[in-house]
Amino acid sequence: MRIGFIVFFFIIFLQLKAQQSPVATPMHTTGEDTSFNTNKVLDEVVITATRTENRVSNIPLPIHVINAGSIQQSGAQRLIDVLQMQTGLMIASNPLGTALKGYPNPFGDGIQMQGLDPAYTLILIDGEPVTGRNAGIINLDRIAVGNIKQIEILKGPATSLYGSDALAGVINIISADPRKNDFSFQTHYSTNNTLGLSGTANLKAKKAAYQLFAKRYSSDGYDFDKDLYGQTVDPFTNYSVNGKMIYDFNERSNLLTSLRYNSSNQKNAYLIYPDDQVVAVGGHTIEEDKSAFIRYKNHPGDALSYIAQVYATNYSNNANVYIEKDGSLFDHIGLSQTLIKPEFQINLGRDPLSLGILGVGYNWEKISSTRYNGDHQLNAFYILGQKQWVINSTNIIVGGRYEKNVLYKAQFNPKLSVAHKFTPDFILKASIGTGFKTPDFRQQFLSFDNTMVNYFIVGAKELTNVLQEQIRRGLLDDNEEVRAFMVTNELIPEKSIGMNLGLDYTLKQNTVFKLNLFRNDITHLIESYSLPLVTKNGTGFFSYKNVNKVFTEGAEFSINHRFNRFFTINGAYQYLIAKDKEIINQIKNGEIYKRDPSTNVSSPVRLSDYHGLFNRSKHSGNLSIRYFNDRLKGGAMVLAKYRGRFGYFGLNGFNDGNNILDDDREFIKEFTLLNISVNKNLGKYFDLQAGIENLLNYTNKVYMPNIFGRVYFINLNFKL
Amino acid sequence: MQTLKFSFLGLLAVILIATSCSKKGEKQEMVTPVVSKTDSLRAATRNTFTFYSFKDGRVIETKDSASTKWDFAIRLATIIVNSGSSGPGNVGVITQKGIFDTFKSAPESGYAYDTTGSKLAINSGLTTGWYNYDPASHNFTPKAGIFFVFKTNDNHYVKVEMLSARYEDFTGPMPLFIWHKFRYVYQPNGTKEF
Repeated sequence: MRIGFIVFFFIIFLQLKAQQSPVATPMHTTGEDTSFNTNKVLDEVVITATRTENRVSNIPLPIHVINAGSIQQSGAQRLIDVLQMQTGLMIASNPLGTALKGYPNPFGDGIQMQGLDPAYTLILIDGEPVTGRNAGIINLDRIAVGNIKQIEILKGPATSLYGSDALAGVINIISADPRKNDFSFQTHYSTNNTLGLSGTANLKAKKAAYQLFAKRYSSDGYDFDKDLYGQTVDPFTNYSVNGKMIYDFNERSNLLTSLRYNSSNQKNAYLIYPDDQVVAVGGHTIEEDKSAFIRYKNHPGDALSYIAQVYATNYSNNANVYIEKDGSLFDHIGLSQTLIKPEFQINLGRDPLSLGILGVGYNWEKISSTRYNGDHQLNAFYILGQKQWVINSTNIIVGGRYEKNVLYKAQFNPKLSVAHKFTPDFILKASIGTGFKTPDFRQQFLSFDNTMVNYFIVGAKELTNVLQEQIRRGLLDDNEEVRAFMVTNELIPEKSIGMNLGLDYTLKQNTVFKLNLFRNDITHLIESYSLPLVTKNGTGFFSYKNVNKVFTEGAEFSINHRFNRFFTINGAYQYLIAKDKEIINQIKNGEIYKRDPSTNVSSPVRLSDYHGLFNRSKHSGNLSIRYFNDRLKGGAMVLAKYRGRFGYFGLNGFNDGNNILDDDREFIKEFTLLNISVNKNLGKYFDLQAGIENLLNYTNKVYMPNIFGRVYFINLNFKL
Repeated sequence: MQTLKFSFLGLLAVILIATSCSKKGEKQEMVTPVVSKTDSLRAATRNTFTFYSFKDGRVIETKDSASTKWDFAIRLATIIVNSGSSGPGNVGVITQKGIFDTFKSAPESGYAYDTTGSKLAINSGLTTGWYNYDPASHNFTPKAGIFFVFKTNDNHYVKVEMLSARYEDFTGPMPLFIWHKFRYVYQPNGTKEF
């Protein structure tokens, strides 16, 4: 009886699948053949680039889609594992974190895009921003891979649509549509006693559809240096839960609600030295991330639709560390960040021929932390517009976003993108836009007195208060030198101009060549600096100011070939130059010198010696080979990522007397991460998958402790 | 074959040493006898300064810190000079940009003094000062292309270049001592030429 029921569901499911297009009921059907619609094998529908559903070939911007199939076949468990194998995306962790040998990296791993730091890439889930940046980094280790439909990677500034932080680009994780009936469960086990259990249930009733996704992911971590107290990566347990409900009032309107919860619990164990005594401490860092959104879409006329929605999210990070001996509290660090964002968007015109969008919204953002004085708010009102024209074989998109943040001058960020189709298979894409990033809370409000190492890190807005307090306590003299820093220390948003120029060429509908040239110029980059002041007990000060101007430029080239319906191969390469313009000027003016540490001979640095910003690989590339044969019911996948040599400040204690990358001894050698996996369907419901990540067993225990070495995994997937 | 190579190298070395020695000998008669020295001093990372005299070419005991016997002193990476708030002397210093070796003449004026405890002649700030600080490893490295020109208590001129800073091995949470290596050229005849 029960089996009959299941089979019944399964048949319905297959029928539904057959009827539905792979796109989940688009607001505007892109099926209508315009000059921009081709029969490309890999022409996915994306939403990130224009905030409306559109085919990749219609979009004049560099956008890349990672679909659910390839994520599943790779066996990856965390977002960072998926992203780091993509073209031009590199793991970037804060070097301050990795240098804390034997201590957990407090900032986690982020992604560098087009040579820009993780702070300049906006991470979205279903179009809504993920909050909780530590030292500018959203820890992508904690985001689980589960009910994902696809990941869209949009490169180049997207501030004209998404506001602050989207300078380098946007990574949008689109979760699966609940409008189906199925159930799946995955058991993952891998090296270091890593266990992943995740399940997704989708249920479609007459008008409503429900989805529940839950995942538990835990690991014992690992230890690279037994001589150091504590592990390199401490044991952790992550939980993710996502519940969604979509209600279709009719064919033209629906209501989507989503609740998401993530928690990450990381064990801490390290030594402290009060009064030069060795004391062991331990505890946990708990990161929690809760969010909810409710989105109403209506499509009352052929050339009119609107979306009304409210998004709310809270991120918290709490670390409690206790002295092992007596269990007394040693330290508590807490941070809580809340964002509430109502938004209304109206789409006018026929997509993509003459679509216009208009959106308004408001961000209520609040933060409180044990390291800040009091609560702080960062509210912003914004209005955005975008208009698309398709004239013969040319597609033009013009857009802009006005944002008024309570703390800063109003910002207007425009973007213009153009695509021209010479033939249906040959498209030229060009875009130019501006981006901005408001100073983050830390740069404005931090007030952190590190008594262990004798320094204060003070946000720009707090500096006057902190100095006044030091004077009041008699630790600083009330003189001109000190007062010079007690002025209004205004930080202004970091700004960028980004340009992308690309060619897409499709050969015989099964091979796609893509080339994209990019250039980003960033001004008013915020950096920390030290004040030439020291208190009477020897404490120094750091604060933040707008200083540098940097640029990144390069080229990305990819080939995607489908041999047949079972077998695809994708290869890509990125060339990257990222440099600091101030440094270039200083070198030109003969102001920067280097000293050979072995001979002590100093000489001026030549422009040709300057390799640019640290942690950037001039050359990188990736390769993906996917095979799945539905007759043999089995497949295999090979993923490789090559990362060319890159600079690391202070590598092996080397320093030639300047803080720039100008010596071969400051480079970490190139390396390749190679992952392989195979899978085989076992009967109707099961799929067994096994693989090896980092087959070449690459490690760099001191400078990249996040790479463990060879990891073996096995996944058992059940799908009903 | 191997031994042959070795003996050849050995011969080459002997020739090199011999020629360089004879050259040095010739030079010493012609050039002003400046004192050119590379030295290291062991500075505490906290509390006390370590004092140094160019004239004596050695570290001066802490008990003489209130005298004019010393020229400069270091604690961790903070350099003080013997003047104003730091000592009874009148040592002045110029922070000079450029190449140490090709710098031949000390300036007439422009010398800075330790006026107050928070306004020292030599900037030892964490990013603006005479060294680079690596917040990840806590290493200090003297900035290349920066050296100091001193005018001592008895009006002698010295050019000094800091070369390196290395922590002494330690077991606790913080290193207790740091070794600063530096070289200097001291002009004993009182002229400004090096």
